[in-house]
Amino acid sequence: MNATHKETMRTGGLTNRLFQVKKTGAIMVGKTLIAATRLLGRGGTTLPGRMAIRIKADLTEHLAAQLNQGTLVVTGTNGKTTTTALIRNILKAAGYSYIHNQSGSNMSWGVASALVASTSWRGTINADWALLEADEGAFPKIVQDTCPFVVMVTNIFRDQLDRFGEIDRIQDAIDRGLQLQPAGGFQVVNADDPSLISLGGAEGKKRLTYGLELDLPEDNFKNTGRDTKTCPLCKKKLVYKRIYFAHLGHYYCPSCSFRRPLPDVQLTGLKINADGTSRLEIKASGSQICINSPLPGTYNYYNLLAALTCALALQVPESIAVDALETANPSFGRMENFTVDNRELVMALIKNPVGANEVLRTILNKAEKATLLVAINDKIADGTDVSWLWDVDFEQLAAGSDLLSTTFASGLRAWDMAVRFKYAGLDQRLIQVDENSGNALRRSLQATPPGGKLYILPTYTAMLEIRRHLNQMGYGRPYWEER
Amino acid sequence: MGRQINICHLYPDQLNLYGDRGNMLALSCRARWRGIGLRIIPVEPGDQINFEQCDLLFMGGGQDSDQLLVAADLKKRQADLRRTIEAGMPVFAVCGSYQLLGNYYTAVSGEKIGGLGILDLYTEAGDKRLIGNAVISCGLWQPARTLVGFENHAGKTYCGPGLQPLGTVLKGFGNNGSDQKEGAVYKNVIGTYLHGSLLPKNPWLADHLLVKALEYRGQDSFLSELDDTTEIKAHHAAVYLARSWRHRMGSTRV
Repeated sequence: MNATHKETMRTGGLTNRLFQVKKTGAIMVGKTLIAATRLLGRGGTTLPGRMAIRIKADLTEHLAAQLNQGTLVVTGTNGKTTTTALIRNILKAAGYSYIHNQSGSNMSWGVASALVASTSWRGTINADWALLEADEGAFPKIVQDTCPFVVMVTNIFRDQLDRFGEIDRIQDAIDRGLQLQPAGGFQVVNADDPSLISLGGAEGKKRLTYGLELDLPEDNFKNTGRDTKTCPLCKKKLVYKRIYFAHLGHYYCPSCSFRRPLPDVQLTGLKINADGTSRLEIKASGSQICINSPLPGTYNYYNLLAALTCALALQVPESIAVDALETANPSFGRMENFTVDNRELVMALIKNPVGANEVLRTILNKAEKATLLVAINDKIADGTDVSWLWDVDFEQLAAGSDLLSTTFASGLRAWDMAVRFKYAGLDQRLIQVDENSGNALRRSLQATPPGGKLYILPTYTAMLEIRRHLNQMGYGRPYWEER
Repeated sequence: MGRQINICHLYPDQLNLYGDRGNMLALSCRARWRGIGLRIIPVEPGDQINFEQCDLLFMGGGQDSDQLLVAADLKKRQADLRRTIEAGMPVFAVCGSYQLLGNYYTAVSGEKIGGLGILDLYTEAGDKRLIGNAVISCGLWQPARTLVGFENHAGKTYCGPGLQPLGTVLKGFGNNGSDQKEGAVYKNVIGTYLHGSLLPKNPWLADHLLVKALEYRGQDSFLSELDDTTEIKAHHAAVYLARSWRHRMGSTRV
């Protein structure tokens, strides 16, 4: 791939010169727009890429072809951002240079923006890897454009159905992306998700799987957000020996040969240390690995396994990978901590039932008194259909209501959220509604006593708003800044 | 003995796509707050339904693949279902199962999939999904009241001449995006494309279904007034957003 592209660029001819002109134009427009949007205090992660690919449709392809090593693409419903952040730490520790698309700008134009931002004004890229988080819908296009060496799929849950229509279509998109990956690469896939294991595209590519081998108490909330329950081959209902959460677990089909493969990378032991970190014992390709991680929750164990599996595919030495994973902090809005006026503020993005349930469960497990602010927007990046709120187990909060002081509902869909709280059985007197996220942030901080804790659970665009308010108040860093 | 409503929830494992749980929660909370007992009986494919026990039948939306399974199973109960519906059993069907109650569905391939033939309507696969917030004016009440929800369907549904629509589209697409009609009402059957979830934000429709269920079993159907301030605010906020040009610009995918 690389060689052919470079060949084309070197040879002369009018078309090629025209191509050069268009490419340089696209890059210049993109870079100018990035500079301009940043001056305006915005992230500049969407518009520049959009305009650049409008000028030169195959810009991404040509830029990605210049990378020294290649591309790594991470997709799936939940865990993309954290997994990507973990791999970033690994690449950094292993001494690689890399380009990445941050802050969830994971559509094809977000990828273009990221590449353009790292390209010189003359159109050259000097980096080893592009590490890309890909939206499931944009996954096939991103794979096609970047010819990744490793593609990773974390899981498929119910998410943003207004966009995909149905879960089957998400699965189709991921399947297509896997097929489009050129031969010779690696596919890193979650073995505990039956909807992934059936997807093809592994011919000529090496598949590495990861999964949990733990005895955990079964999920209490089996009825919410479980999407895949039937065998992908014969449509019979799958039987589970263990369920970790939602439909992730040890499954098999009672009537055909479909069953969970034994993962290449297995989490075999788990202990919560005295300081609240988790000690993970992992079996991978014959060796025993131990990781102490500050990241809480089962979903983060999956993210850690995914990143470690990717490190194995890249042949990064084990000790370097472990070091990198142990020092990784929660990424952008994923249980991220701020200290504001002597109050501990924890921000955790919510976007679909399974993710939100896990966040709620992790919060309630901490068993400390806290204020809660849930901010729901219904813009495109949030998902425009808020019916998913009804599949989230907010009933957990009513059950643990002695832990909650005031609960705020905010965002464009603040009142939908307030109704959800009411029908979840929360004490009506403790629910405050303020559609304006800035006001809600200030009020919820006031409602939190000094030394106390405030949990903020926003959807994506609500998180950007709240982050902007926090920045204006002098806390946190702008979201487009490299960490 | 106090009043009691039994709801049969058809195929909750297969038809549960768009927050249908919210509809169940709305019905059960609003019954409980009034001291009415409410039991939800989940029915799985292959289970026997005892229609004698069912005061309200709820059917949600599902994915295409699941829906075919369900259609096959439901066909076996077609005669029973028709008889009880003619006798006045209330049914609330959303999205996929609304289509299923009709005469047939024509897939993109041209293949005709037979429905239950209870509602005189048919559905054709469209080339683009009809997605977005929707507001309708619903004539179940005099004067008419608004219902607000979210629709997401590829099928375009056309009602026969004798079939009452559930309402007139004020915003959104409705049954087919062209005749300004949304949903259908036949006897005590209500079919609609609206979810969101529909009942929590439109408490008068939830109460309407509770009244019908009580009446069907010959129970006292008086419902005491509840404090619906939050629900009504959510209703109006959603109507406002659905009608707001600015909001549509920020939340419509082209």
